[in-house]
Amino acid sequence: MLTSNHSLASLALAVLLVGLGLAVTGCDFLDPTEVENPQTTEDDLEDAPDLVRVFLPGLEAQFARALGSTVVTTEIASDNYSINGTGLGGTAMDFPERITPTTAVINSRDADTGSYWNLQELRALADYVLTEILPEDEGALDADVALVHYYRGMAFLMQAENFSAVPIEEDDTPRPAAELYTLAEAAFQESRSLSSGGSNMLRTSAALARLHRGLGNPQEAPDYAQEAIEIDDDFVIGQGFDEQNLVNAPHIYLVTRALQEMQPLPRLDFLDPKYTARDDGIVVAKAEEMYFIQAEAALAQGNPDAARDFLSDARALAQSRLATEFSDSDARLDNNLNPRPQSSSIKIAFEPGAPFQQGLVLDRPGVITTPATSGTSVTQGDIATASGTELVRLLYQMRQEVLFLEGRRLHDLGLRLPMMLPELEQNPNIAAGDLGTETIIPTYIPPANEMDLYDPVEIYEEQEDEDGNDILVLIEDEITMLHDMNRILAEERGLVMQNPRLP
Amino acid sequence: MNSYWYLIGLLALLCSVVVTEAQAQSGTGTLVGDVVSSSGDVLPGVNVLIPAENQGAATNAEGRYRIEGLSPGSYEVQAQFVGFRTETATVTITAGQETIQDFTMREDLVQMEEVVVTGLGQSVERRKLSADVGVISANDIEEAPVSSIDQLLQGRVPGSSIRSQSAQPGQGALINFRGITSVFASQTPVIYIDGVRVDNNSGTSLSFGGESTSALSDLLTNDIERVEITKGGAASTLYGSDAANGVIQIFTRRGQEGAPRVTFRTEQGVDFPVTKFFRDTGFSFASAVEDPDDPDFGRDSFIADEILETGYTQNYYVGVSGGSESVTYNVSGRVQNGTGVQPNNENTLYALRGNVQTEVASDLNVNFSGAYTRSNFSRVNNGTAIADPLTAFEVGDAKFFSGQGTLDEALELFLLPTIKEGVDRFTLSASGTYAPSDLFSSKLTAGIDSRVNEQRRRNPSAADPLTGNQDGLLTRFDRNYKSITLEYVGTVSYPREGRITSDFTFGAQGFREEISTVFGEGETLIPGSESFGEAGSVIASETQSEIFNGGVFAREQIGIDDRVFINAGLRLDGNSAFGADIGLQAYPSLGVAKPRSDESFWTRTFGGVVNEMKLRAAYGETGKFPEPFARDFSFQSTSFRGNAAPRFSNPGNVNLSPERTATLEGGFEGAFFDDRFALNLTVYTARTTDAIFDVPEQPATGLSTQLRNIGEIQNRGIEVDADVTVLARNNVRWALGAAYGYVKNEITDMGGEPDFNLSTTVSAQQRISEGEPIGAWRAATPFDSNGDGLPDAAELRFTGSTPYPNHTGSFTSRLTINENISVFALADWATGAEVFDWGSHWAQFNGLVRAERITQYDEDGNELGLFSTEDDGVSLLQDGDYLKIREVSVSYRLPDAFLEPLRLSSASVSLAGRNLFTFSRQDLVDPELAGITSGGGLQLGGSQSITLSPPRQVRLSLEVTL
Repeated sequence: MLTSNHSLASLALAVLLVGLGLAVTGCDFLDPTEVENPQTTEDDLEDAPDLVRVFLPGLEAQFARALGSTVVTTEIASDNYSINGTGLGGTAMDFPERITPTTAVINSRDADTGSYWNLQELRALADYVLTEILPEDEGALDADVALVHYYRGMAFLMQAENFSAVPIEEDDTPRPAAELYTLAEAAFQESRSLSSGGSNMLRTSAALARLHRGLGNPQEAPDYAQEAIEIDDDFVIGQGFDEQNLVNAPHIYLVTRALQEMQPLPRLDFLDPKYTARDDGIVVAKAEEMYFIQAEAALAQGNPDAARDFLSDARALAQSRLATEFSDSDARLDNNLNPRPQSSSIKIAFEPGAPFQQGLVLDRPGVITTPATSGTSVTQGDIATASGTELVRLLYQMRQEVLFLEGRRLHDLGLRLPMMLPELEQNPNIAAGDLGTETIIPTYIPPANEMDLYDPVEIYEEQEDEDGNDILVLIEDEITMLHDMNRILAEERGLVMQNPRLP
Repeated sequence: MNSYWYLIGLLALLCSVVVTEAQAQSGTGTLVGDVVSSSGDVLPGVNVLIPAENQGAATNAEGRYRIEGLSPGSYEVQAQFVGFRTETATVTITAGQETIQDFTMREDLVQMEEVVVTGLGQSVERRKLSADVGVISANDIEEAPVSSIDQLLQGRVPGSSIRSQSAQPGQGALINFRGITSVFASQTPVIYIDGVRVDNNSGTSLSFGGESTSALSDLLTNDIERVEITKGGAASTLYGSDAANGVIQIFTRRGQEGAPRVTFRTEQGVDFPVTKFFRDTGFSFASAVEDPDDPDFGRDSFIADEILETGYTQNYYVGVSGGSESVTYNVSGRVQNGTGVQPNNENTLYALRGNVQTEVASDLNVNFSGAYTRSNFSRVNNGTAIADPLTAFEVGDAKFFSGQGTLDEALELFLLPTIKEGVDRFTLSASGTYAPSDLFSSKLTAGIDSRVNEQRRRNPSAADPLTGNQDGLLTRFDRNYKSITLEYVGTVSYPREGRITSDFTFGAQGFREEISTVFGEGETLIPGSESFGEAGSVIASETQSEIFNGGVFAREQIGIDDRVFINAGLRLDGNSAFGADIGLQAYPSLGVAKPRSDESFWTRTFGGVVNEMKLRAAYGETGKFPEPFARDFSFQSTSFRGNAAPRFSNPGNVNLSPERTATLEGGFEGAFFDDRFALNLTVYTARTTDAIFDVPEQPATGLSTQLRNIGEIQNRGIEVDADVTVLARNNVRWALGAAYGYVKNEITDMGGEPDFNLSTTVSAQQRISEGEPIGAWRAATPFDSNGDGLPDAAELRFTGSTPYPNHTGSFTSRLTINENISVFALADWATGAEVFDWGSHWAQFNGLVRAERITQYDEDGNELGLFSTEDDGVSLLQDGDYLKIREVSVSYRLPDAFLEPLRLSSASVSLAGRNLFTFSRQDLVDPELAGITSGGGLQLGGSQSITLSPPRQVRLSLEVTL
């Protein structure tokens, strides 16, 4: 055993040596306070090269989130789909009057719902790149900056179509849809001024055509549509997804369909599910829509013959698009566990008194073929014989079918969604009841969830086959939709270009 | 100072010379005697001391002591023994004679002389403490049929809520002391082992269906000498920004000087599943089991018969302890295996522990302790996982989910997925104590806790119909935890005698914690493949966090006439998670204790009813640091189509600071009625300011949510602990104990933030709302909207209950016969909670009414059937009151007469049961279980799928020491 003095002396010597060593070499390696955030912070961005280019994939991914969530949100809020089960926060989105800032799908930051959030984040991220990153990135390419403006414009455009008013910066008062359209137009024009390359001109002219339709400009809209078609007369601009990290949002509820969440309107059954792969692109713009815009402008200008021609062009193009074969195991159940239409022998009347049409429902579960880009049940004969309101109804129907699952239907219906709850609660300049905080429901929209309903509901009976297995037997092969929303739109709203219903 | 010491030394020398002279002249005397307990039992090992002479002896096996060589004269003699009052007598020693002085020791129920160190920086006798510190002794630990620290705490800490998660291995309890103090942070107390901060995280693995692995489950109870518990407040203040949840200090067992003592222990046990909370297949598959033509005919208890099983467990321990005057050691090893009460529930444990203490010099001690634990276990899916067999069979989904025709076929599929995990844990502590004199001592402690776990879930392709995978799925999760603790404490005790005494403690303490996780998932595997490299597609991700917390502290304790003790302390803390504009945080404490100092006062006033009494009051502040990196404005990049795609992540907050809890507490500890009755009462009020809320940014900014210090939370409560000796005579002693705790929790300020939900079930929310307790249940409630007396609508309303209890308590009974037979029983109970019953909701989809629901009427009074579970949340909230007979043990220590022929120094056998009976007001969910949690952060529990209770355990153990 050491003596006390020995131990003290050794201890003192050790402390002295360590202390001297640290004084000479510095003691960073012993500093326990140093921590490193594994995420990128603003400090990390200082002096980093090519930052606009670094942020472009982020903008593209955010655009994919914004697009996917907007498609899911607007398809379920419109008559295109109704909701089964609890996977989409219950059935509130089927009832326009129940949609509020607190509704789960509206008040969401998820990539597959949360349209409001994802559009705001897209626009804010583009703002950040333009105001904070770009000034420091001297070598940024014009083409890259043009793309940033395009994404910013698309955020404004989708907000203008589906929401009544949206604030665009902290403590801002909500900007009404008309102003959002104007902001979108400025962004697209800025993009075009920076890059006149074919692909940028195509996407911006398609977006501007859509924008001017929404603004109610029957002159500009067809001009931009024509410009797009002249660049490429069968173009499709899609936004791809990532099979693993950012799946096509509708695919989650249409194909994976763990709870059979999204169920199509029976007369649109032949178009579902459209996106059969996890990374399938969602159409951002395509030539068919340009023809529809031109047809609508022709109708607005009193030229039904031209309109019929444009509709024929759209139909022909849609028919030429590829189809997908898909093995669908969806049990097609409604909220009361009644089997929904799932037999090709079913005939559907679009409303009481309308003729029954066959071929709109596919046999499921089973292997089905659905359009991958565009499809319609409208025949050339339908187009050729239609006139007056019926031609407008046909335009709405073709838009509904051909642009199915592309996020256009809610805008055509004239419904506008409210902002999400934190925007209302955190912004001192927004109060409940202000424009943008409530759902706008046109008076022609039927009550409750009637847009989605058909009669009768019980069309199958469960029976046992010879082997004792339970099978569904069709007991009612004619069903009638409660409302033909396209007829209602044609009669009550008229053309969007003439009645843009801008707040 | 020096001259003072010289003077003392000179006097001592003088005295010794005088005494030596005296002895030489007239010889010496001897003091002998017997020591027994008040119940007449012989007490071996009692220290009998003559402080003035610094002489003493311990009683032998017959309870007899003998002190020789005493100079004639009059002396004060003390008899001291743990658990008994110190007895004092005055004797007169005569040269050449034996003086007899017997002692009858009275049991000390309040143990005022017991020494504790947690939160004090030094050893302090309990009578001087101004705040309550709980102690679980080695005896308590030995008699408890438990293997992990969280199980040990159940029923043993007044004012705590400790709820198990399920019957599956690897899980730990949700622990809470004195109410919930945060709406975002975990409430688990910090845990120190031999001065080293260790991993206490309750969610260290992926949570499949709400069940994850807890680091508490591999904190084992073998070779623990003592556990000290401070529940936050003044007693925890010296732990600063880490202490708001309270502190648990574990001290491992050290070796005793002497020849090597080898101890063998084996434990054999049987686990029986608790079926009380199952309706079973007679309910969920009624039509099939009642149909004579159905292959499942008659199988109305399929869960009990085919899924649940009797488990077997075996445990072997060997320990060696001993040492010389300068080196002592205690090393042990343990192997344990259990088969569990559900399929795929096996667990195996290997543990080593060692503790070596060396006296390097007379004033310098070095202590080293270390433990290694390897734990392997496997679980089945449970909770909200779709592949959870218990839920699927109980609520009628088993055939539908698996696509199988019979219950047997379905079960086969449900048991294909496996969740396996291995944990490796090293905990090392090294400390040196330098005490050159009674006036000054200092201690340096350094240590590390390293815990690595690897979890693998495998969904084989054969289970695809159930899991929804395509050709199987392999999920792997690795977590690597490291923490380093460094502490220095110095104590100056001067003056130690006189009217005023002073103990000044100062020091520095800090820890650094690093956690990294790696997650990988491979999809599409060929049958039998368990390697990512062979998967069709692989995704992977990782997380990393680092945090440093460190501070300096000082504490002064002043004793006045040994009657009043006043203490004041301060800790200054810095932390790498604080915002850039936040400097050091100060945590003050102040307390006063007034122990019994004038026995005549109590005797005069209460006529002997009161034997001992200490009054105490304390104020102290503690903190809870925020998450690492929550202060930074950051970006998060995800993989998107082959590119790294950045987006906004955390908005950043330069003012992010710890949550601060200020606690004012007061109470007393007393012994009454001739030491037959002891009572410990504490009343406290704790106010948490700067409570952190995850505040949404305006969506227009594109930024999501940011932690901000905006709230205020209040907890008020009372803790009572009582012990009564019912019988104490003829070698039979029977004592009863009861503990009770009540806490009232309220969110008093939310900084203007709107209400939000901590978690949401289908029809009930754990709500954060000003004026309500944290997580108050707000459930869909049917009501009468048109005044006809019949419920026709539903809306969300607060139910007045919480997911966690607010009244908790326990009862103990301890019977000792002849000092070698002891019977111990422990029951604990809780009330005030409600538990959301997911199972009854899911049963609804199969047309099953598992929980009774309210009948719905239309506006005209026509009956519409039952409200759906979406509209009738109140019927799915089950009463959470329970009482569990937690432990019953009988142990028998072989008398010495039997030991000698066998050459054993001790031998004992014991039979113990755990979780023996549950009393509850309903039989749909086990109200004790914490249920579904997501790991990390604030976990309130309180919502359950069909989850199996911890099993009824019966253990037979045999221990011999050579």
